[in-house]
Amino acid sequence: MSNASTKTMQPFGEGFIEAFAPEMTLFIGLLVLIIVPNLGDGKFRLPLTNIRLPWFFGGNRSKFEQNPYLPGLLASVFASIAFILTLLSFVGGMHSVEVTSASGHNLLTINEFSRLFELIFYGAIALACIASMNRLAPYPSDDRTAHGLYNNRRQADFYILMMTTAIGMSIVALSQDLFFLFIGLELASFSTYILVSFLKESKEGTEAGMKYFIVGSVASGVGLYGLSLLYLWSGSLQFDVLSDKFAADGLDALPLIALGFILVGFGFKVSAAPFHFAAPDAYAGSMSPIAGVLATASKAMGMVGLIRILLVLASPDMSDDGTVWLIALGVFSVVTMTWGNLAALGSTNPKRMLAYSSVAHAGYMLAALTAVGAWNWSESLSGDAAEAAAMVLTALMFHMIVLVCFKLGAFLVISILEQEGGGHTLESLGGLAKREPFLAVTMFIFMLSLAGVPPLAGFMSKLLVIMGIVKVAAGDIGAAIANGESISFSDIHWVWYLALIMVINSAISVYYYLRVGIVMFFHDAPEGKTLLPQGNSVRLAIIACLTLTLYFGISSDGLIEVCQSAADALQASWQN
Amino acid sequence: MTDYISLPLIAFPLASSLILLMFVSNLTEETKQRVGPIIRMASLIFSLIMLALTTGMFFEYFGDFEGWEGINFNTYEFQERYLWIESLGIYWSVGLDALSFPMVWLTTFLLPVTIIATWHEKSAATYFPLLLMMGGALIGVFVALDLFMFYVFWELTLIPMFFLILKWGGDDRKYASQKFFIYTFSASVIMLLGLVTLYFLQDTTTPLNYAGSMTNRSFDIPTMIDASMIANTNGWFLGESVQKILFVMLMLGFLVKLPSVPFHTWLPDAHVQAPTGGSMLLAGVMLKMGAYGMFRLPFSLFPHAMESFQLALMLFGMVSLVWGAIVCLGQTNLKKMVAYSSVSHMGVILIGVATMQPLGWAAALFMMFAHGIISPMLFAVCGAFKHHYHSMEIGAMRGMAKHSPWLATSMMFAWMASLGLPLLAGFVAEIMMFIALWYFIVAEGWSIWWMAGPLLVLVVTAAYYLWSMQRTIFEGGEETQPPASMAGHAIPDITNAEKFAMLLLALFTILFGILPWIALDMMSDWTNQMFDSVILPILGGFEGGA
Repeated sequence: MSNASTKTMQPFGEGFIEAFAPEMTLFIGLLVLIIVPNLGDGKFRLPLTNIRLPWFFGGNRSKFEQNPYLPGLLASVFASIAFILTLLSFVGGMHSVEVTSASGHNLLTINEFSRLFELIFYGAIALACIASMNRLAPYPSDDRTAHGLYNNRRQADFYILMMTTAIGMSIVALSQDLFFLFIGLELASFSTYILVSFLKESKEGTEAGMKYFIVGSVASGVGLYGLSLLYLWSGSLQFDVLSDKFAADGLDALPLIALGFILVGFGFKVSAAPFHFAAPDAYAGSMSPIAGVLATASKAMGMVGLIRILLVLASPDMSDDGTVWLIALGVFSVVTMTWGNLAALGSTNPKRMLAYSSVAHAGYMLAALTAVGAWNWSESLSGDAAEAAAMVLTALMFHMIVLVCFKLGAFLVISILEQEGGGHTLESLGGLAKREPFLAVTMFIFMLSLAGVPPLAGFMSKLLVIMGIVKVAAGDIGAAIANGESISFSDIHWVWYLALIMVINSAISVYYYLRVGIVMFFHDAPEGKTLLPQGNSVRLAIIACLTLTLYFGISSDGLIEVCQSAADALQASWQN
Repeated sequence: MTDYISLPLIAFPLASSLILLMFVSNLTEETKQRVGPIIRMASLIFSLIMLALTTGMFFEYFGDFEGWEGINFNTYEFQERYLWIESLGIYWSVGLDALSFPMVWLTTFLLPVTIIATWHEKSAATYFPLLLMMGGALIGVFVALDLFMFYVFWELTLIPMFFLILKWGGDDRKYASQKFFIYTFSASVIMLLGLVTLYFLQDTTTPLNYAGSMTNRSFDIPTMIDASMIANTNGWFLGESVQKILFVMLMLGFLVKLPSVPFHTWLPDAHVQAPTGGSMLLAGVMLKMGAYGMFRLPFSLFPHAMESFQLALMLFGMVSLVWGAIVCLGQTNLKKMVAYSSVSHMGVILIGVATMQPLGWAAALFMMFAHGIISPMLFAVCGAFKHHYHSMEIGAMRGMAKHSPWLATSMMFAWMASLGLPLLAGFVAEIMMFIALWYFIVAEGWSIWWMAGPLLVLVVTAAYYLWSMQRTIFEGGEETQPPASMAGHAIPDITNAEKFAMLLLALFTILFGILPWIALDMMSDWTNQMFDSVILPILGGFEGGA
């Protein structure tokens, strides 16, 4: 690490708590969520005496703890505090921290890169928690209907799982070690498996959860096998040891096979084709806020894994062999984005449509990743290629951040429709413009942003990704041309064609995004539906998403700089 | 220097329309009905303020400059620049030259005229703010001197137009609006990739003006054009194959917008389904964005590539011209016929462009301007026709001259203007194109048969216009019956608002027909400047001098 301000500490050593304040907040939130709803006036009688000591568990719960709104409120507050603390850590320069084991192995690292991803995770989880307070609505405590009781009893479970998801994801972002990476991944995955099937009384929920679980665990298993092969090859789980070994030994067959397996594992997480089959079912069957988390935070988590494994560990060397996986990844990205968009064209369930669009977005991200990998594709024209790689990484992170604004926002709008039993057909969006004009306009803005229409955040993110790819492809050709060298178009690197396929794909995608707008504005509302279900917190979350979508579209400079600092932090750790 | 463009011409219409729309969206249906006229009046006043401003600019009342003639190529008046996105080198950068100013004036002129012509449009409370938004976005395209800003406004124009077609359009409006949006969007994203590639092929060894802190490159159009002019004199700017591919990528976006023949299929659908106001702005200004963009970017940046694609451009132009005109003959729908006649006239622009000489370019620029006044009148007539006879079929109404003399007169005038009657604006552009093409063919030794297309079109255009007039205005005689679609009601003539709009359009058609130099002088000066600085030092003139 070249960064002079990096502090090294042992787990729970001096300054550990301060450094990990956001994660600690979540952990405390988790404990509070488990304990508080169980507190009562239970007493413990000292044996052989009549003295009863209060020990607070069991007995009758007080009015306050019985309140079914409590878990949702607590989870939202803790997730928001974690988000704000993470945000504050960016103010006035990041204090990088490395946590090392007693033997000096690097376990966790806090820097701009990991913090930025935590920002995505916590932001998405906080918004989803806030919105879920309406989606999984608690009933007044005096409501004695079976449904009411049932819903109230599982409030705490739901938000506990949200907290564990957030914690697992942040471990993935912080990890510097394959073991930690896998632990965090599984913690988050298992929590999301349950969250997807949380509505166990509904057929779709159970089916979705089952599918997601089976496919997900197979993918995890394959990924784990790949990780173990890496261990077999190198004898270490440390990222820095592994990357040194990659740089030294070039690419043998064993690590290449391992990389392939790992790609399967993380490919599932980012829902890249052909490992995306469970995603549309999972999104359609789960509650919309959960689907939103899957499409944004969970995908970003998969991206962290891919970035760590592919770029930090196995960034291609100057040798030609290094481009083996690069071409594979390029093909992968093209298949993913095209498949996602074509499948989205034909889906009439808006959640499936958003799922497929999420697959397409995964393709764009993979294209960007391919471009980063190509950063030193040719010695003669590399020039400011490292800077180019930083640009693509910036774009990638920008894309994932703004995705939280408009993709999660779109899911939240659908979540309001789900409250009245709709949301599974495009027609249930019909007449939204008459029922609640604000929501319809907001949803249309989210759709346009997903399609990449200026001046919205989605356009900026797509533009940045294209710019990053083109920058890598162009390298220093501009200066070479100015020098009078004869340059033909074929001198531009092939990743340029990824950008071309990407823009063609985003043109295809406009069709299904526009269709949502047309249904909302010009179709009639479903029979008998007039006013939409109430719910202020979900609307608050939507307004937050809308504001950010517009803000980052028009004034994206600040966010770009933050993303750039994160990209530099990552590069610093991989170029030493 | 005061910024005469950003606030009053872009931010003002966009912001006022957004505020009006937000205000309206929370009202009940009855209140919307009641505030409709107020909003309509407000929109008219706003657009008149903008018209007053641009007219003032024309008379050099604002600003401090020597006049619209004599502005050097790639220098701009009323130039303002504000930092937008620092890391990428994106500026809010506006300016006007003799290429963009006529288009900006045209936009501000058409805006009030459109509002007047469609004075009685339904759902007035949302319709008129959308027109204002459209105007702001269009002006943004014409004044942008930053590629990013240019692209943002280029796409922004789609959104209000999409809603105009979707909400106020005909029966097939969903199909038409989606086709319009997807078709033009697809072409623009290819163009965007071309722009981004161009951006990253800049030479950064010497620091660029207005470069971004992260990329060291600049989106500034004047900077790029300056660099390309120097590089082009020493050979191909960016190398031959790169320049050709970028030229094709940019041209794709502009040719679809223009539209030129293989890419024109969105236009008839969009026009037929669009409401009158939408069609007027679409044909009047939005199509010209394509021609404007060509001059601003690919022709200025890539003259070598332009020369090598000269034959292709000429072919595209000829095919558009001839095909558009011949298809017109077969149309039974009045609006569709007018839409195809637009395609045909856009062919004239392309031919003028392809001659690659100042006269042809000036013809193209003047055609943009003249067609921008005449085609809204054509569509206003079609709208009035539809409005009064509930049908767009040619022949649904016969003997119109007897029932509706105003509409019949306007129609006749518009038709005549469009087919190029001398002393009207369209004639000037067409005769210039003829001279330029003839001159070009002789000087370059191309086959004389290239003249056959335009000559044929002269006849065909006259035929379809006269034929449609004969079947609507004159036929029927004494025993004329109102069309069946009137269901026995009496036939009214056009409303006073429509009469007024028609008069305005006709007046300006005559004005620019008799005194074309009002606009033509600055245009031909600009094309001369561009020819002298872009083409002449690189490719040289024609035999016998250009």
